[in-house]
Amino acid sequence: MSAREAGNGKLIDAALRCYPGRWRRRHGAEAAELAALLIADGTPAASIAWSYLAGAAREWLAPRPGRPLSTVAAALLAATCLLGLSAALIAESVPARAAGTTQSPSGPVPPRIKPAPPGAASISPHQLTPCRPVPHARSC
Amino acid sequence: MSIREQDVLRRAGEASVLVLVSLAGGPKHGYALIQDIRQFAGVELGPGTLYGALDRLERLGLIEPLPAEERRHPYRITAPGSAALRVHLDSLERVSAAGRLRLQPGGT
Repeated sequence: MSAREAGNGKLIDAALRCYPGRWRRRHGAEAAELAALLIADGTPAASIAWSYLAGAAREWLAPRPGRPLSTVAAALLAATCLLGLSAALIAESVPARAAGTTQSPSGPVPPRIKPAPPGAASISPHQLTPCRPVPHARSC
Repeated sequence: MSIREQDVLRRAGEASVLVLVSLAGGPKHGYALIQDIRQFAGVELGPGTLYGALDRLERLGLIEPLPAEERRHPYRITAPGSAALRVHLDSLERVSAAGRLRLQPGGT
């Protein structure tokens, strides 16, 4: 078996593992064989895996006689929470990253400092910066 | 009951109709179904879509599994399945006829 075939097999196995156990016990072996036949016909393994993934999502979300609607609602709620959590994590990391690393195309803009009068003590530019990036700070 | 209400395949989806049409020609397993549908409809049915349609049609009692041949599970159309397919195809035919009539010059 070539590395490519092994990779395809792993991809299909991973997609089939997303189905409920009841479905896998019934269709799993045939579905794996069907995928191998379709790949041999020239169908891309990624397209087959995607079809199985979409089928698995439908299988989990479709109401069944033995599966009350509350289970479906719980699955939807869990998916929504995961999406929300991911979005929150991304939103939190973006401003911090922006404050820490973003620079204008022409380079960093120096703070506007009036020329110090002769004889005045020198002031560090950092002391005049209105907004300094602080570790873990979300924004100014 | 109206003809629309009798048409249980109306909301079953295109894949279910294609599977039922294929099984009307004789029992088949998954791979044979995909090949047959590709041949008569020019549609590449994904395997995930195929199993979804098979499960749906079996729940509706429109198809039934036959004894497994090694890993493969063939299915055949049931008598209610044949009746449902006939009603659905009649309905499609009426819509098709009306559409063609209206597409003719001066058609209403």
